[in-house]
Amino acid sequence: MGSQVKDVIIKPDAPTALMLDKHADYIAAYGSNKDNYEYTLSEYLRMSGMYWGLTVMDLMGQLQRMNREEITDFIKACQHECGGISASIGHDPHLLYTLSAVQILSLYDNVDAIDVDKVVEYVQGLQQEDGSFAGDKWGEIDTRFSFCAVATLSLLGKMDKINVDKAVEFILSCMNFDGGFGCRPGSESHAGQIYCCTGFLSLTGQLHQVNADLLGWWLCERQLSSGGLNGRPEKLPDVCYSWWVLASLKIIGRIHWINKAKLRAFILACQDEETGGFSDRPGDMVDPFHTLFGVAGLSLLGEERVKSVNPVLCMPEDVLQRIGLQPDLLS
Amino acid sequence: MHGRLKVKSTAQQEEQKRQEREKKLKIFVAVRDACFSKRKEGIWDDEALKLTQQVLSSNPDFATLWNYRKEILMHQETVKEKDEVQTIYGAELSFLESCLQTNPKSYGSWYHRGWVSSRMPKPDWARELTLCDRCLSLDERNFHCWDYRRMVVKMSGVSVDQELAFTDRLIGSNFSNYSSWHYRSTLLPLLHPESPEPPSPCLKPLLKEYELVQNAFFTDPNDQSAWFYYRWLLGRAEREDMISCVYVSRDEERVAVAFSRPSVGLLLVLDGQPQRVEWRSVHPRFKHSPLWICDLPPGTISDISYEHNLTVHWTEKHIHRDCALYTGRTESYCRDSAMDQELFRSELSVEKTSVLQSELQSCNQLQELEPLNKWCSLTIILLMRALDPLGYEKEMLAHFQTLREVDSMRSAYYSDLCSKFMIENTILKMEYAEVRVFSISDKNLTTLCHLDQLLLVTHINLSSNQLQRLPPQFAMLQCLEVLEADNNSIENLEGLYHLPKLEEVLLKNNKISTLADLQPLASCPKLKRLDLRGNPVTQIANVESELAELLPAVKDLLL
Repeated sequence: MGSQVKDVIIKPDAPTALMLDKHADYIAAYGSNKDNYEYTLSEYLRMSGMYWGLTVMDLMGQLQRMNREEITDFIKACQHECGGISASIGHDPHLLYTLSAVQILSLYDNVDAIDVDKVVEYVQGLQQEDGSFAGDKWGEIDTRFSFCAVATLSLLGKMDKINVDKAVEFILSCMNFDGGFGCRPGSESHAGQIYCCTGFLSLTGQLHQVNADLLGWWLCERQLSSGGLNGRPEKLPDVCYSWWVLASLKIIGRIHWINKAKLRAFILACQDEETGGFSDRPGDMVDPFHTLFGVAGLSLLGEERVKSVNPVLCMPEDVLQRIGLQPDLLS
Repeated sequence: MHGRLKVKSTAQQEEQKRQEREKKLKIFVAVRDACFSKRKEGIWDDEALKLTQQVLSSNPDFATLWNYRKEILMHQETVKEKDEVQTIYGAELSFLESCLQTNPKSYGSWYHRGWVSSRMPKPDWARELTLCDRCLSLDERNFHCWDYRRMVVKMSGVSVDQELAFTDRLIGSNFSNYSSWHYRSTLLPLLHPESPEPPSPCLKPLLKEYELVQNAFFTDPNDQSAWFYYRWLLGRAEREDMISCVYVSRDEERVAVAFSRPSVGLLLVLDGQPQRVEWRSVHPRFKHSPLWICDLPPGTISDISYEHNLTVHWTEKHIHRDCALYTGRTESYCRDSAMDQELFRSELSVEKTSVLQSELQSCNQLQELEPLNKWCSLTIILLMRALDPLGYEKEMLAHFQTLREVDSMRSAYYSDLCSKFMIENTILKMEYAEVRVFSISDKNLTTLCHLDQLLLVTHINLSSNQLQRLPPQFAMLQCLEVLEADNNSIENLEGLYHLPKLEEVLLKNNKISTLADLQPLASCPKLKRLDLRGNPVTQIANVESELAELLPAVKDLLL
């Protein structure tokens, strides 16, 4: 009797070399066929999908292959009267896609293509009395949205427009027994939420409130024998956690607690040699989401063929240097 | 996007699949467009509900359509009678149930359900709780469901005891229990709030909790959730807020104050007079500091023939500390010892020794049965730290060695943790010896910590370790005169910043590579002796003349 540790086994023929050209080709071609089933069904997150694709292209030095004008026009068409931005045309505005849009425009140094003041107004209006942020006018509360709010405002240089102290208070109320964070007060710790909350605390200059040793331990325990990382105890590894977990560790100054060589091998094994792109685990179907986080993870691990990525905003460091945004990290 | 296996199939199978998807796509696009156009026209009717239902039942992440349904339902509220509205919302809940069966992890579905339940004229919270029971029996780790349950419990007033009993049942029957233990960690404090007065009146339920966790990891020592929870149980005491040390120096006319945690808001009273001083951290990159320093106006305390009385107030906490500076003395300090503060036990609670002893015994027994179980080894270390940090030092080092072997992926974590514990032990030894010399040579140190406890140290020996940097926090060693750090891998000296008494720095055989790395030393006014032998920087062209310019006061330079 006893629990089996959930994990994957990396096959001996799994990829071991980084195939950046194939990944660039995959992303460049993605979405060119608008009749593609997956593509159409994921319209509800299109703005984020674009952010994933464009960011990974920029990290690989291939941003010029994408159509800046078409993308800018699309984003403009997605800004609603209230100032918020939707995932696609005809869809409703939301903080998630407002952030993605601002991130994309920052990559292109073209933030003024949209009404910035209106965006700020939209974000401001979503802060609740307890400091939390709703995702949109319908009121769902989640620490992810707190991150979206401060990340958006940081990129626009408008953090003074919200009640930062209250926002911090809410995030800290979501800290758990294990040092991690969940969606709302009382929610279980989850690597995705931890990324959002440590990122939030970095942007608001409050990282000293994190118990870095305790949280760092929880995070380094995400690494399984395969070398991959899971999102919380007793779950399977997934390449996107190479981002959520690794970036969090970098933010709190404990990235050396992960075995880098084994993680790198796992990430590389998640490549698809045929189609290009990365999947969640070796042998599964690829998508732009996992492609970005695979490459971004490798960047954090020191991959020289990829640009340096900022662990708080998941954007190229050179873009943030241009904006003048250098969020604190613990050492 | 997750868990979709790439399956290789024949050309014929591929073609068939392609045709099916094309058909599905056509339908999807048609229905989606119909929804959008109806919404654009402002139509809120049953047809709209039917259309959105079609899409959402297999695409519950299409958030805009849930929004549309909310608009339709809100409109129904205004034109229908209460019991009709109740029926409509009832139907909505049934629809949501089927959505959740297909996809139990959609944020949109769960939020919509909560939205519906809170708007219904007569919500059936018991039914909602049953839904949660069922959902969790299928997947005990579904955090959407747990969050929904917490909302239901709040709205319907289910008692903490009932919920604790629920977690009892789950923990007793399942292996994947992390969510349940987590929930317990939030419920226990509600039932048994900690009292500030020892002995803790909540000892009995705490002992019961220890028993519960012990049962869990004795039954299944690989059930990691129990071990995580156990570490929390052991470590629940918060350190008391206090001013841990005040130091005054006539030479620099400086006051340094160390708190139990990073804080702000200090008032200095000198000989009964509040002083207008600027408090600052020891390093610009170290903003949230537990240690603050201020400079007194020249001449305030420099005359050694005068006695002075200082009081430092931590205004926010209404705490203060006095420190007398006697005639003939160039400095003075006042502090609590680390032992008195139970400083290093703050990671582990102030539970009775007998409880911890029996816990240790149990874990040792388990270790004999499961020598490769890293959770057990780590917990033994934590228990030994609580009981007798110095007495168990040798055993602790042996257990860390075991950990590095059985869990080599995390050897960097164990090295840092061991370094922390060795530093704690050295601080304790230093206090027993009543000296201001901190010596931790050849102890495999990979990191520095508790530097706020070293304010009074005059000599520090860190030689023959694996340190890579002296971080900004190192500047808290305001009394430091001699630094011995030979035979490390130090490449960064940021923390050697404006150390007023630092005279001698020994850095033989390290990794100092550039002149820029040595820049901080220029800020140390009394630096006279510097040993840089065996560092890459000594190979730089004109290094001697460059250093003469950078550090003119250093007369004794070894390259």
